[in-house]
Amino acid sequence: MIEALLQTLLNGAATGGVYALVALGYTLVFSVLGVINFALGALFSLGGYLTYLLMGGAISANGALPGWGLPLPLALPFPLALVLAALLTGLASLVVERVAFSPLRRRNAEPLLYLITSLGAGLALVNLLQMLMGAEGYAFPAGALAGLPAAVVVGGARIRSVQVLLLAVCAAAVLALTLWLEHSRSGRALRAVAEDATTARLLGINSDAMLRLAFLVSGGLAGLGGGLIGVSISLPGPYVGIGYGLKGLAVLVLGGLGSVPGAIAGGLLMGLAEALVPGEASGWRDALAFAILFAVLLLRPNGLLGRRLVEKV
Amino acid sequence: MATTVGALAILGQQADPATKRVAPIGQPDGALTIGAVIALTGNANLYGQDQRQGLDLARRWADALPLAAGDPPRRPLKLQLEDGGSDEATAIAAFNLLIKQGALALIGPTLSQQAFAADPIAQRRGVPVVAPSNTATGIPQIGHFISRVSAQSSVIAPLSIAEALRRDPHVKRVAVIYAQDDAYSTAETLIFQKALKASGLAPVTVQRTQLADNDFQIPITAILQLQPQLVVISVQAVAGGNLIRQLRELGYRGQIVVGNGLNTPNIYPICQRWCDGILIAQAYSPELNTPINRTFLQLFKDSNPGQSPPQITAQAWSAYQVLFEAVQRLQRRGGFDGLTLGQARAALMDELLAGRYDTPLGPIHFQQDGELVQGSFYVAEVRMDPGGRTGRFALVRTDTVTAPTAPAVSPAPSPSAR
Amino acid sequence: MIDNGLLVQMLIGALLGVSVYLPLAAGQLSLATPAFYAVGGTLAALLSTSWPALGAGPDGSLPLASFLLVLLLGGLLAGSLALLVGRLVLRLQGIYLAIATIALVEIVRVAILNLPFTGGAIGIFGIPQPFPTAAGYLLPALGLLALAGWVCQRLEVMPLGRAMAAVRNDELAAGCMGIDTTRVKLTAFVLSAVLAGSTGALAAHFLNTWNARQGSFDTAVTMLAFVILGGARSWLGPVVGGLLLTALPELLRPVGDGRLVLFALVILLGPVLFPQGLMTPALLERLGRLGERADQGEPQP
Repeated sequence: MIEALLQTLLNGAATGGVYALVALGYTLVFSVLGVINFALGALFSLGGYLTYLLMGGAISANGALPGWGLPLPLALPFPLALVLAALLTGLASLVVERVAFSPLRRRNAEPLLYLITSLGAGLALVNLLQMLMGAEGYAFPAGALAGLPAAVVVGGARIRSVQVLLLAVCAAAVLALTLWLEHSRSGRALRAVAEDATTARLLGINSDAMLRLAFLVSGGLAGLGGGLIGVSISLPGPYVGIGYGLKGLAVLVLGGLGSVPGAIAGGLLMGLAEALVPGEASGWRDALAFAILFAVLLLRPNGLLGRRLVEKV
Repeated sequence: MATTVGALAILGQQADPATKRVAPIGQPDGALTIGAVIALTGNANLYGQDQRQGLDLARRWADALPLAAGDPPRRPLKLQLEDGGSDEATAIAAFNLLIKQGALALIGPTLSQQAFAADPIAQRRGVPVVAPSNTATGIPQIGHFISRVSAQSSVIAPLSIAEALRRDPHVKRVAVIYAQDDAYSTAETLIFQKALKASGLAPVTVQRTQLADNDFQIPITAILQLQPQLVVISVQAVAGGNLIRQLRELGYRGQIVVGNGLNTPNIYPICQRWCDGILIAQAYSPELNTPINRTFLQLFKDSNPGQSPPQITAQAWSAYQVLFEAVQRLQRRGGFDGLTLGQARAALMDELLAGRYDTPLGPIHFQQDGELVQGSFYVAEVRMDPGGRTGRFALVRTDTVTAPTAPAVSPAPSPSAR
Repeated sequence: MIDNGLLVQMLIGALLGVSVYLPLAAGQLSLATPAFYAVGGTLAALLSTSWPALGAGPDGSLPLASFLLVLLLGGLLAGSLALLVGRLVLRLQGIYLAIATIALVEIVRVAILNLPFTGGAIGIFGIPQPFPTAAGYLLPALGLLALAGWVCQRLEVMPLGRAMAAVRNDELAAGCMGIDTTRVKLTAFVLSAVLAGSTGALAAHFLNTWNARQGSFDTAVTMLAFVILGGARSWLGPVVGGLLLTALPELLRPVGDGRLVLFALVILLGPVLFPQGLMTPALLERLGRLGERADQGEPQP
């Protein structure tokens, strides 16, 4: 009984960790710009594929360059590949900012338009990935986690080692992010811009640079999530990120827009709720997640830990 | 606005090609078109790629067949491929496009799910459809013009269960898992469960997943707690590969029986060395020693050195072959002269149903309702090479099955009959 | 080329665009349209295949009157659902409302998938046809669109419509002026649902098959694109947006593999090049003036 509960908790925490990563990605951009970056799901997929390629994986027969892969000497071990892929995804996120957000900011466009342009950017990226890599599934080379046993037993509960890894990396990333935001110069500058852009500028903070930093880190988080999911369960296709993007969005709102602890709490809550749905009724699992979101929003219209949107008259 | 739409509608209203007369052989439009709607994009495209190859090989074979002395000239056939995507709407659009462009017959679509949506359209327009890979029950029964060369799961699925039980007669605990939002999976799992019941086994658990799922930690945990000796899986290929790998990683050591969705070498990169030992029932074996299969194998190996053709490629070949042979038989009897396209389609359907064919799948013919009658089926076990990158489906058993009894034909399929 | 089937699908796109536009006109970003579309379609599929009173023939035909009845019932069911849910949901603001409506779409999709009588994964197929060809659906689709357009046009001059515009501009101020903002928002929401439900019923018959996948989150956001790219200032905007963006992926088929990338680029660049959508207020004004001049040209009664 305890094992079953522990198993559920571990399952839920692992899934929830990835949701939290994506939600944090949204949070960073939202807190500075006030809009949702709909391209984040596509960046998630990109991170997964980049990790695969950096590890020396080959493009499949349906891709643009069938059979091409990094020559063996250049292939990186998984940890390096993951970090580099996250970085590259962050850079891609900067490109998205340039293409989908900057032009609108220059004209002071209304927030709704950002939704559409980022959606277009995301769709374009996903379809480019499909053209490049083909639409079939990619599993990471088997030696990715060389040396680790396939599964570990934690207090009677069996969990795949890669899930433990996932949980550990997510926790580390979240911790690093929180520390950075709280204690570092750039992190605090970012929070200042999020709080009040005008005052921050008056204090000499370059809010444009902070915005780009937010996009960079946000993309990096999404890419990290993609690489982790890729090594854990394989990349079923370029659209894998879209599903996580949607869940991440739900977690973002559940936790309260713009709240970092909210995103983390929301992610864990969502992951746990899903893990608690028995397999026989898995059809209702998605509905449960969204029903919880619905219920929370009805009771707390600004999410669990969101700030109350004070309307200025 | 109304005038614009009306004008566009009139422009779009071309003469229905079904009323055009079929041109004689030798004239430029004397070539008839066989349309093929297969999944070239979307997540079913790993099946579609294999089907495309099967169709191409068959066309090349048919075009190169020597004309015996004294034979009348052959009716030339064109093969036109359209992407049916992996969703219903794209398949419907592709069907509509090909029918409008005057296709004589259609091959496809790839997924049973798509067939339920698109086949009624062909049926209404009187266009013959030969399905190369739909296995769900009820598809040929959609109408007179719908047929298939892919044996339905009710016939072949029980064979793998039988083999698993033969290997371990003491199996008591069986777990079943399937994708509940996929037509093929839901149809096949019912067959599996019926076969289990016929052997006196009731599943200790039935886990349901979604098409988009690839992380199966939750259902696997539930399954392993009940310590089954056999796990029966009905999902599509990529999900299946992941499921098998995760099952093994979490310590499951028992037997695994999988369904038709995993009948493709595309699972090897996903489950790698963990694919070893899974049992699957097949409608095709590369080891069948008939002249046509040897020809097919030769042509396949020429394009894919060192590989064995998957079942789905052989089925696609067979779909083209039966249409080609039916057309030529009809042509030899003067069948197309003076007919309109619509009449030609109907005549072709009758000819198709009446014929017997020697295909790589073995000797086959059709029942009156378009259902396939195939003599031999196979059970294979996946054996992976030491590197874990490549493998093969090793034949472990051949079964000769008596003709499946025709299910009761109802006039219109109703949802409650499911 | 555009054939009649595509034309009907374009009209369905236009109808769904107007459905998303209606709550937006009252300042509410509601993406619940696919949920009501799915509800309407499912009801239509169920009724036409299992209710003998509708008179579906053994050859798969359906009397026109039954078809129209089913359209009406689809809209009514969707509207009732909107009435039930609307009061709860419309207390939310901005992006929270949008996400809550997306949640609603997902819940409805899963419910339809899992309920025993809705056909599950296979869905319901072989839906009886009131028309022998796709062209037959043009008239009902146009009719529905004309009706929707007429309602929107009337709204602009009715007090209700002006209340909607007031709420959209500044909900707080509108409330202070004595406008019952909840009632206004709810009306827009219910109207949007009725339109989506009837469109779903039409689409179910047109597609001849229906399943839970017909209304989902990605369609919701694409419909929003119809409104934004077409222009959110008038109901003509989503109509133009819906027609164009539905036709585009099919028209791009000759491009081959890259067509969806091209389509995405259109969505990406649209708001940048046309921030007010295609039907800009300036264009609408010019169209309005054309209409006036036509009126003036007529002899006085």
